[in-house]
Amino acid sequence: MVVMEIAPLQWVLGLVLILSSLGVLLAKEAVHACLSFMLALLTLAGLYLELHVELIAALQVLVYAGAILVLFMFVIVLFQDAHAKILHSKARSNRWLIVSSASLFAAAFLLFAIWMPNVNHHVNQGTLQPAQFGTLKSIGKALYIDYFFPFEAVILLFLVAIVGALYIGKKERS
Amino acid sequence: MDVTFFIFLSMAMFVIGIVGVLFKRNILIFILSIEMMLNAGNLAFVAFSKTWGDQTGLLWVFFILVVAAAEAAIGLAIVINQFRNRQVVDIDQYDELKG
Repeated sequence: MVVMEIAPLQWVLGLVLILSSLGVLLAKEAVHACLSFMLALLTLAGLYLELHVELIAALQVLVYAGAILVLFMFVIVLFQDAHAKILHSKARSNRWLIVSSASLFAAAFLLFAIWMPNVNHHVNQGTLQPAQFGTLKSIGKALYIDYFFPFEAVILLFLVAIVGALYIGKKERS
Repeated sequence: MDVTFFIFLSMAMFVIGIVGVLFKRNILIFILSIEMMLNAGNLAFVAFSKTWGDQTGLLWVFFILVVAAAEAAIGLAIVINQFRNRQVVDIDQYDELKG
């Protein structure tokens, strides 16, 4: 096992990240789960800052914590009475199937974690200088020149998603 | 900078997301767990990208952000539609497509 050189701040952020992700699972109320997820997202943005990718951190806060989470909050508040109803209706899925598949996934990832330290992870043969890495200028250049067509495809996908969401969400006339 | 720490974090977050998808019956928490798995992928992309000094991973993170936003919009639209028509947010009752 390689001795890890990790700043104390990263330990704290990682711990908060894991705990708040667990909070999403363990929270009884949907609003609490949503707030816990917001804490996880902000911690993730802190980790990105710690890695010196400020642009991604800013995007994370703006898109996730700013837009998606607000959307979730609106929908959760809209259905306030319905969340409690779940506890009264019976679960139809096979409990043991769920438990076994979840533990299978966890075991697979544990195996991967045991194998992981053997990976040569101190490779640094980057083509970019550290000063240029992850800046708005270099990412913008790559996005609009090297990755122009994927970018346009993603724009199209987003447009389709907006129109589809409007169509699905609109009230049906009967 | 050690990438192993971040990959461990990302893996833990992904497993928590999978467990949420498998166990939670509230459809909103279900979608939140999917978002959490996407975020775990983002963290791995950023960590590897930083380790190898290649910013292609950051571009992938950008694309994943957009796809996650689209997915949340569609998912919540479906949730609202189903709630309006049938008053359920329980995932066991989302069985209208069952043959």
